[in-house]
Amino acid sequence: MSDQETVCKETVYNKLFQNLSPAIYNFIYFKCGDVARAEDLVQEAFIKLWENCSKVPQIKAKSFLYTVCNNAFLNEVAHKKVVLKYAEKTTPSINEQSPQFVLEEKEFEKKLQNALANLTEAQRTAFLLNRIEGKKYREIAEILDISVKAVEKRMSQALESLRTELNTKNI
Amino acid sequence: MNEELLHKYLNNEISEEELKTLQESETGREFLKIAEKTAHFNTPGFDKEKLWENLSNKTVSKPKVISLFKYKSLLKYAAMLALILTGYFYVTSLDASVTSGLAEKRTTTLPDNSEVVLNAESKIVYNKKSWNKKRTLSLQGEAYFKVAKGKKFDVETNLGTVSVLGTQFNVQSRDNRFMITCYEGLVEVTFNNQSLQLPAGNKVIIENGEITAQNQISINNPSWILDESTFDNTEFKLVINELKRQYAIQVNLESVNNSQRFTGAFTHTNLEDALKTITQPLQLTYTIGENNLVTIYGEQ
Repeated sequence: MSDQETVCKETVYNKLFQNLSPAIYNFIYFKCGDVARAEDLVQEAFIKLWENCSKVPQIKAKSFLYTVCNNAFLNEVAHKKVVLKYAEKTTPSINEQSPQFVLEEKEFEKKLQNALANLTEAQRTAFLLNRIEGKKYREIAEILDISVKAVEKRMSQALESLRTELNTKNI
Repeated sequence: MNEELLHKYLNNEISEEELKTLQESETGREFLKIAEKTAHFNTPGFDKEKLWENLSNKTVSKPKVISLFKYKSLLKYAAMLALILTGYFYVTSLDASVTSGLAEKRTTTLPDNSEVVLNAESKIVYNKKSWNKKRTLSLQGEAYFKVAKGKKFDVETNLGTVSVLGTQFNVQSRDNRFMITCYEGLVEVTFNNQSLQLPAGNKVIIENGEITAQNQISINNPSWILDESTFDNTEFKLVINELKRQYAIQVNLESVNNSQRFTGAFTHTNLEDALKTITQPLQLTYTIGENNLVTIYGEQ
């Protein structure tokens, strides 16, 4: 029933924003690693959604937003190399770990962060959509408008290059 | 290492046993660690509420803009309607006028069904609204009236006023010549503070404020209604003026005595014939040039 409601209705629009904006934001952030740019793009995407509210059915809103962001990203010519900084999730405090183990873990996370930043944009986006956003391959394929096979490939490549980088630095 | 199992793990579709198989290899364990650790990361968050505020300034406030715009466009139509209505009322309260151009005759019916036939280059002005209260019109030029019976009917000209009660009459008010012909009923002519009653079948010519002729007529209509202009002992200049009006032409006079008098008529339908009838009795000659320019020559 709510699917019939138009996005032009303020309550519907607000609900869509509340539900979808974090995922959209993360998606852009995975791509560019720039907080300000990600926020801008989220805003732009939602403005576009509003402008086209009569043309976009509510169920299509999500893919509309992803497509707009994807296109906006493609249109941006200057890709500067940005260092991703991932805030750590509050890990369930593992009881009484040895200080050395904790230190090693910290070291590993730091290296992993760098390695993630060094992935190609395509690999990183797919990999983080899966790992952080918890999206299945099928969903990622939909968002990026590629085949599931291609997602698989990017995932494997991402893992492989992360492993290689972590191992080389360990030596 | 089985890559299919790895994808199963990443897709959260792996079974306990399969996971064990995956953990058997060194590479598998490394992959699992990377995958698991990455899942613990997150993006630096963003201020959703602030973004929404920004956004609603740019978007949700828009419907108001749209509705205001709609209201504005309604205002536009309302203003147009008001303007049209005011215009309509203004125009209807204005005097109506009927004008005939050069070489044109026009018949018009007044609100009380009185009939007016305008000779060439003439104009009447009257008020439609007050017509039933006061039958007054002003005339420039020449017109023939068939007045419906009723209240006093006034024709105002700058040379005098003609008042009647249901009749047929012709009024000519051109240059300084004021000529009234009454065909039916009784006409009262007022000019220069004098007044004169003109019974049916009579004609009066007033030139420069003086009565110059008053005589009986034998016809029932003014001749111009039948496409002919008739003159009786009229200044030649006035004859030429009438010719110009009826044919929309320019007339050039060369050594012609303007003040000589002409008695006769000319037709409105054929310029050559009209020129002949005017010039021959006075022993004049004429040529018709380009651009409707007629030259009349006096005795050489």
